[in-house]
Amino acid sequence: MEYFASLEQTFFSIWIRETGWFFFSVLILHSLGMAFAVGINIAVNLRVLGVASRAPIHLMRRFMPIHHTALAAILVSGILLILAYPAKALTNIVFYVKILALGSALAITWHFSKSLMTTAGSETNRQSKLLAALALLLWFAGISAGRFLAYTHSILLASSFY
Amino acid sequence: MDAFLAFSQASGIYAFMNSPWGWPTAESIHFIGLCLLVGTVGVFDLRMLGVGRGIPMAALHSLVPVGVAGYLLNVITGLMFFTSAPDQYLYNPAFQLKMLFMLVAGLNMLFFYSSAVAALHNTVDTDVAPPRALIIATVSLLCWSLIIICGRLITYYRPPYHWCIWC
Repeated sequence: MEYFASLEQTFFSIWIRETGWFFFSVLILHSLGMAFAVGINIAVNLRVLGVASRAPIHLMRRFMPIHHTALAAILVSGILLILAYPAKALTNIVFYVKILALGSALAITWHFSKSLMTTAGSETNRQSKLLAALALLLWFAGISAGRFLAYTHSILLASSFY
Repeated sequence: MDAFLAFSQASGIYAFMNSPWGWPTAESIHFIGLCLLVGTVGVFDLRMLGVGRGIPMAALHSLVPVGVAGYLLNVITGLMFFTSAPDQYLYNPAFQLKMLFMLVAGLNMLFFYSSAVAALHNTVDTDVAPPRALIIATVSLLCWSLIIICGRLITYYRPPYHWCIWC
């Protein structure tokens, strides 16, 4: 906690919090990154579940570079948001629920990218469909946890207008 | 404006939104809805622009109903936000711009279904979308991205201290 407090008092942390335009640029990057990273994941998982079944699964990997770019945007902006409010985020159990949900969902995507998306003519089966449904639920849970993070903190050392 | 608020209060939306879980729950659904929309309509737009070559465009088009479901989730939750605090939206430049881009996205979609969808389905075997579809896909992706940006900026402005085109 002392460490979080000292981190919050660094020039950079204060600057992110109190420069309104920069803080909102980071939020925007986080939201846009979410839309495209989660969006493309949803498309892949829907395909595994049998929606758009005429689209070859292995070719869905051609959307993955955009997914990875968006993921990088989420990661960079997410780290900046944590730097702005380390005590608020890192003392909240909801933050760890979010990381766990997103990490598990990404692990399923990684599994698909190493299996179904590697060879032409891959067929989905019961197990892959269950995994895809689970991934969708994990994304929804992760997004919700991210939203609730803004409301459920118990410790707020640093505050600002926003 | 009072009418919106009266509706929200009479319908119980206002009480729900002001309960501890109400606002974040509606926001979560709003974010999930936007991901569903970008993951379907956005992916279809990207395909028209040349990402995912080899996937038949008509095949990806069947993702769109899921996007419509996401859009409906966002209209419902959006109305819940709006009617519960109309003054925070009506006088908010970010919200006004968001509605403008929603209108453009809507007209763009009408243009797509009236003039380009047939051309796309007729060119199932070719890998490149006709020029008109390229423009429509670009406008669509730009609009939805700007809608997300403006949506995120709504809390940057705190009406009534900001500029408004009709007040």
